[in-house]
Amino acid sequence: MNSRNRITILLLQAAPYLLFLAILLVFGSLSDRFLSLANFTNIVIQAAPVAILAIGMTFVLLTAEIDLSVGAIMYLTGCILGLYLGGVPWPVGLAVVLIASALLGAVNGVLVAYLGITSFIATLGTLFIGRGIAMSVSNTASVYFPEAITSLNRAAVFGIPSAIVAVAVVFVIAWVLLQQTPFGRQVYAVGQDRDAATKAGLPARRIVFFCFVISGALAGMAGFVSSTQIGAITASYGLQAEFSAIAAAVLGGTSLFGGRGGVKGALFGALLIQTAANGLVIINANPYIYPLVTAGIIFIAVAVDGLRSRMLERLERRFIRPWEIA
Amino acid sequence: MNTTRRQFTIGALMAAAAGTTPMLVQAQSGKTIAVLFDGLYSEFWVAGMQIIKDEMKKRGYAVLEGISDKDDSKQFEQVRAMIARKVDGIIIVQTDSKAVIPAIRAANRANIPMVHFNRPPAESDAYSVAVVADNQTIAREAVLHSCRTAKQAGGKFKAAILIGNLGDPNAIQRRDGFQEAVSQFSDTIEVVARIPTEWNSDKAFAGLTNALQANPDINFLFTSSDFLIPQITQALKSADKWAPIGDPKHVIFTGFDGFPTAYELMEQKYMDACGVQNLFFETKLAIDAIIQMQEGKKPEKVLLDPGFAITQANMMEKREEMWGYTLLKQKKSG
Repeated sequence: MNSRNRITILLLQAAPYLLFLAILLVFGSLSDRFLSLANFTNIVIQAAPVAILAIGMTFVLLTAEIDLSVGAIMYLTGCILGLYLGGVPWPVGLAVVLIASALLGAVNGVLVAYLGITSFIATLGTLFIGRGIAMSVSNTASVYFPEAITSLNRAAVFGIPSAIVAVAVVFVIAWVLLQQTPFGRQVYAVGQDRDAATKAGLPARRIVFFCFVISGALAGMAGFVSSTQIGAITASYGLQAEFSAIAAAVLGGTSLFGGRGGVKGALFGALLIQTAANGLVIINANPYIYPLVTAGIIFIAVAVDGLRSRMLERLERRFIRPWEIA
Repeated sequence: MNTTRRQFTIGALMAAAAGTTPMLVQAQSGKTIAVLFDGLYSEFWVAGMQIIKDEMKKRGYAVLEGISDKDDSKQFEQVRAMIARKVDGIIIVQTDSKAVIPAIRAANRANIPMVHFNRPPAESDAYSVAVVADNQTIAREAVLHSCRTAKQAGGKFKAAILIGNLGDPNAIQRRDGFQEAVSQFSDTIEVVARIPTEWNSDKAFAGLTNALQANPDINFLFTSSDFLIPQITQALKSADKWAPIGDPKHVIFTGFDGFPTAYELMEQKYMDACGVQNLFFETKLAIDAIIQMQEGKKPEKVLLDPGFAITQANMMEKREEMWGYTLLKQKKSG
């Protein structure tokens, strides 16, 4: 690889970080309250649900699959929590939510990994089914959470807000699982080339199945953290949450084509999106600008991902004629 | 991700079956009315659907229901299905004001009356009747009360508004009503945060929390819908600004819609005023219009619900007209 290509690759890899820096500089110059510790804490707290969702989505994207049902899982488990677990201590409620959401993730896993249904179609189906069940059990009315749940939003562990603790715990577990265990290596291998991984003796189906279970469980966790913040959910809850999660994961460098990325990037992507949203409110921007800015950020991320993939593919190609190597 | 045709077909059928299943209730006899909502996303729509169904049944109609989940093409299919079933009228809540026009034309061709409930269609030569609330006036009147309260309290006020979906004409009219009111009190009230929520509770919570972070002295708040009250409560509690009227920390709070929770907050003195859509009147207008059209009459294309503002001052005399209060009373009486 010559120096020009190396610089281009480095720039493409650094693009999301440069974007983040630009956002900090722009909003920081427009408001003196933006670059403060209190505001950064606020950003992390608000990004927590999307970050957790994006971490789960990263596992699925790494295997070159997609999970469109995470928003529906958030809504359904939120209904279970609000309607049936109002009187139980919150750790019990959280445990039930995690088990239920992992089971919903397992349904996706079976459909995709064992029945061979395309993940886009399978999870689109479970999205509708999940939302349908949730709307039916809640009668589409608002579901309110008890004070025991909503007060967690104001709780802290050693002075650290509970939402930040939750996202930190999820991040550490996910990072260790993905970077420090054989399972993590297998996830990358399956995502890069499933046929080759299967031929090498890796249990590709089982790995894909567990990635969907993890995605489901973390959707439940994201829903729980979000429930502590917003106090009540309606039938529109979790709508399009899957897109925020995918955008955060891709912004952080996880490829839609599988095999590349990680949970660090997902966390970064969620923070990037939330930082932009926070900055727009802080400078009292015109509300019509919000979707343009968000879409612009996502567009840049996806374009960079495409460019990087094409560039790497070109550099890894074997050339017969020496002058073709640029 | 190689997929065989069989696998794709199974998956596609599963998704299609799950996504397009309307809740249909078989008509038994006599006249039939179709009630097609784009979703039941808040208590307002749940209550609206229930009141229409109850009233139609009382008048001897069988009711067919359909929910399109904000999918315009699915709703158009539902309209066509209802036309094929030869219903005697359609009450519809569409998602997009323009996308509904082909459905209106189809109903016109089949000579089936169509009434839009609470959301108007875009202008066209197709004929249908829309029952709409005078959102701008209702919002303006409710916010004006809060502005006067602020003026009486003295000092400067910093205001925030939670705006609905920018593609929803109702949300825009409510925003404009708020703007009209506060602009009359520009010496007292400065709008420091305009928060687009897209009718999404997560975004509303995050946006208001951000606004309170940037402007900890926000003390005047308008929400374009009462369904965001739980998120507002959480954000204000976190900012230590959840206090009743009379407390120095109180944020002058104006709602819109007339939800049961809004009435409770007014009773507990956390909310100062609320713009109320007269749901009972709107359902009566819609049903009367359908019946008139069946009789060959041609009502005006837009029928207006003037609504009203309920305030701390007129609460006791106006609450009987507030649908949220009525529902709350029914709930309490079992």
